[in-house]
Amino acid sequence: MRREIPLAITFLIGVFMLVDFFVPHHGVSAAAEEMKQWGTIVIAASILLGVGNLIRVHFRKIRRKSDGWGYSIMTLASMAVMLYFGGPWGTIEEGSAFNWMFLNMQVPLQSTMFSLLAFFIASAAYRAFRLRSAEAGLLLIAAIIVMLGRVPLGQFLTRGLPEKATLPWLTETIMAYPNMAAFRGILMGAALGVMAMGLRIILGIERSYLGGEK
Amino acid sequence: MGTLIWTTIGAILTLSVYSFLYKDNPFYKFAEHLVVGISAGYYLVIYYYNFIDPNVVTPVFQLRLGDQAIGFGSGAWWLALIPGLLGLLLYTRFFPRVAWVARWSLGIYVGGYAGLGISPVMQARVIEQIGANALPLTSVTNVLIVVGLLGTLAYFFFSMKHKGILGALARVGIVFLMVGFGASFGYTVMSRISLLIGRVSFLLHDWLQVV
Amino acid sequence: MERTCVALAVAALLTVSLAGTAGAQEAPVEEALLDAAPPDSVAPAAPGALAARDYLDSNDAGDKIELDWELSPDDGEGSCDVVAYRLWRSQSASSPGELVTELSPGQTHYVDQNLEPGAQYYYSITAYDGTNESAPIACAPVSGRVNLFQTTRLSILVLMAVFFALVLIFTKLAERGAELFVRRIPGLNAIEEAVGRATEMGRPVLYVPGIGEIDNIMTIASLTILSHVAKITARYETPLIVPTARAVVMSAAEEVVKQAYAEVGQPDAYNPDNIRYLSDAQFAFAGAVNGIMLREKPAANLYMGAFWAESLLLAETGFEAGAIQVAGTAMVSQLPFFVTSCDFTLMGEELYAASAYLSREPKLLGGLKGSDWMKVVTIALMALGAILNFMGFESFVNWFQTQ
Repeated sequence: MRREIPLAITFLIGVFMLVDFFVPHHGVSAAAEEMKQWGTIVIAASILLGVGNLIRVHFRKIRRKSDGWGYSIMTLASMAVMLYFGGPWGTIEEGSAFNWMFLNMQVPLQSTMFSLLAFFIASAAYRAFRLRSAEAGLLLIAAIIVMLGRVPLGQFLTRGLPEKATLPWLTETIMAYPNMAAFRGILMGAALGVMAMGLRIILGIERSYLGGEK
Repeated sequence: MGTLIWTTIGAILTLSVYSFLYKDNPFYKFAEHLVVGISAGYYLVIYYYNFIDPNVVTPVFQLRLGDQAIGFGSGAWWLALIPGLLGLLLYTRFFPRVAWVARWSLGIYVGGYAGLGISPVMQARVIEQIGANALPLTSVTNVLIVVGLLGTLAYFFFSMKHKGILGALARVGIVFLMVGFGASFGYTVMSRISLLIGRVSFLLHDWLQVV
Repeated sequence: MERTCVALAVAALLTVSLAGTAGAQEAPVEEALLDAAPPDSVAPAAPGALAARDYLDSNDAGDKIELDWELSPDDGEGSCDVVAYRLWRSQSASSPGELVTELSPGQTHYVDQNLEPGAQYYYSITAYDGTNESAPIACAPVSGRVNLFQTTRLSILVLMAVFFALVLIFTKLAERGAELFVRRIPGLNAIEEAVGRATEMGRPVLYVPGIGEIDNIMTIASLTILSHVAKITARYETPLIVPTARAVVMSAAEEVVKQAYAEVGQPDAYNPDNIRYLSDAQFAFAGAVNGIMLREKPAANLYMGAFWAESLLLAETGFEAGAIQVAGTAMVSQLPFFVTSCDFTLMGEELYAASAYLSREPKLLGGLKGSDWMKVVTIALMALGAILNFMGFESFVNWFQTQ
């Protein structure tokens, strides 16, 4: 019974969502919309689980004085400050301390980490230069053509040549044909994989992500 | 003056992160632990105010001032209990005797959403592709697309060894895949560089005001 | 001179038709004026026959009605003074109801939306010249029909049924013990080698299940692979670090790893501090994982699941730290980066195949076989469609254009 009821509910909800795609009836789509909303709420409610884990891991580090325990104090303190400013006695509107910390600390930190990609993409490209195989060579050549074709430099380098030998034209052609065909193939295969797995989840055959129940 | 303090803080944090490119160092560790802490607090507050409060707490408890009487809410407040309950049930994992409830609460959520994802994926990636790729082999571009697609699908065929015709097709598929990946790679380079330009402009223009 | 005659003739016709129509609009009949920019007192001729029917579209909840009419003789010709067509809608036959919309001259088609499914509506349409309105042309009452099934999506249902049938058939075959051949997938063997290497070096294994939420099928596939990896690390007593970006994924990972350690008979070796929630924020997560890579120095990095732009950050840092890296994702935009920075990459469907392959459960292989044969079906349909298209029969391919 412990297993059967949840399995049955999972099956019913899964099938209902499937059916919603094919049945345009107002009642069905309204119910499905409501249930989709529930999903976001369940996930939002679970944030405490994550934060709890974070607190526990860092607390232990501090207590055992492991390597870098000072930084753990930093983490817990900054979280506490954020919670203090955003709590029920504070406000999260524009201009509040909460918002200020978000805009002047979290945003610059995140954007800077994002911008590190400029360096990493260069180092990845540099390593691809070392041509481990013919396939890597293809990747490299296509990357260079498209990279140059997208900037004025590409146009400049091949300015005298007939249209079909210019970098911008090559770029467009590569993006439109081989790139698109390959991605359509990958996406089709991946879609079939997703659907097979989805079917197994709805039917209750795939339960490994649940861990305990066999 | 106030703005200068803020931008200086932002600049210090920016430079701390860039120091990572050299090697791991106290400034980077500081920045990393800071952003983890701040974002944890941030998401906790935001998820509560944007999702839990309007969709569960307010309908059920109607605690907001300015509304009607404080008490159990109006409308279909009981409907709001369901996701709230499902979310709460996730916390039973801490009590060994009822931990199985948490597992199943999760199972129901995942199972439902699995059903949601199946049909649109079928539509966009399979059905519409049949229509889009049913191309007569009358032009070079059509041949390119069809051959590329066939080759890629052959590569992802798991039921037979890649020998003979299937093997040849799969090799063609790999060629197309690599060209495709290279093109994507090259396509993304400029957008990543522009991110860097954004940060450098912040440092030089907004903070140091030298540019 | 000619214009005046036509205008007078139209006015006469109008008066006649006005007398015979119930619920007609008030159309003042005055002297015709001959100015170049008339507000004249003569209404334009009425539009042609109005036809209304239930509108079939992708979201056919019976709340749309489609209307077609013929142009008024004064639209673009005749007295050329039609400024707009006015569409009226009512729920009773006795009154014209409310003005729904004004349409520009030359239009003969309109779809009325947000109606009540099943309710009866009476439509009429008039031609308007700025001051005067023609007699209305009405049509029979019409109601939107709620379709219980969206016929434009029939092809999706049919092929989905075919696919599911294939999957279930092969699953049943596997359960009965039939041998289902699946070719070697190089990246999968690399996972075991990577873990072995980490064990030899006495360093941890880092497993990143992506930053997708638990309802993302890639994340679920990743958790299945995690279970397998955890069993290996449990057996060899290699530390396994699992940083996550979502609270629920963290809980699920905890369950999976704990169970895996218990199954191998090493429940005490399970270290809950190694399954960590870092941050929901994409780059805070990436930065923190980079920190783990640099400080705890794992010798094997496994990236399985849904990744976005942070993929390159992780893979490059891991490379710099000297770890052996195996990635698996179906995010095609990130595959190029994993392919350049990792030693092995499971692409797209290989990630889903991995969960079946590694678990060695015969019934999971059924899904793989079903997918394979579905690819064959799809290719056959494409070929058939191409041939039919070439011969001029486009309806076959059109059946696959859904909304």
